[in-house]
Amino acid sequence: MAERYSSFAPGGTGWLLQRLTAGFLIVVLAFHFFLLHFVNHAADVTFLGSADRMAQTGYFVTMILFLVTATFHGVNGVYNALLNQGLTGRSRQAVKGVLAIASLLLIVQGVRLALALQGGAL
Amino acid sequence: MSRANEGYDRGLIEDFGRWREFSAGMWAWIFHKFTGWVLVGYLFTHIAVLSTAITAGSADPATLQAGNDVYTQTIQTLEGQAVVRVLEVGLLAVAVFHILNGIRLLLTDLGLGLESQDRSFYASLVLTGAIVVASVPTFIEGVSV
Repeated sequence: MAERYSSFAPGGTGWLLQRLTAGFLIVVLAFHFFLLHFVNHAADVTFLGSADRMAQTGYFVTMILFLVTATFHGVNGVYNALLNQGLTGRSRQAVKGVLAIASLLLIVQGVRLALALQGGAL
Repeated sequence: MSRANEGYDRGLIEDFGRWREFSAGMWAWIFHKFTGWVLVGYLFTHIAVLSTAITAGSADPATLQAGNDVYTQTIQTLEGQAVVRVLEVGLLAVAVFHILNGIRLLLTDLGLGLESQDRSFYASLVLTGAIVVASVPTFIEGVSV
């Protein structure tokens, strides 16, 4: 039997961005897990090893895009899950504001640490 | 209205007390939500832990070379604990299921595989289990209980 369950109204901007970021994250999350658990073991991670990876422009750009898309996808998912639970009106606006600020702080902190690994700490 | 949305009065999936009546698609929805919450929670924690790199970045070269900086020490201390390795296996399970079920959802949104969406959910579960079991030796390598 064909059934469809989704937290998003099909066709909306949030719906589209959630799916576009999903397509990117499928590849990058799998790459991230594989690189840092199978190619390099997490237990062997050092500052200099991380700095070497982050010094490569392609890796740095990929990690920044990973940070931004994962933050959007995760926080937008949380927001829509809360809408499903019946969040409306002022509470909805307040939650939206808090999540937007949390996202911005996370991205700023992520960029700061990526730059620190690259040798250009803010 | 799309064909996929026609003709089903399923009631509210948020009414978790009805869990005995849930079908495969509803369980997939719940598991996807749960794994999503775990992953977004981990994302914030991950960035917080890795932020030790900001302090470590000002350490002298000899300290960095010896691995005595706060970033390296924090990661290696965490990785030295068996409970962290077990949690990492859990994180792998959560991430793999979210990826596989996410592919299933993207295909469903494109109208592909609607008639076998229940079987593709079961396949996601089985494949997640297989990948996680096969990865356990790598994840627990070098840790003493």
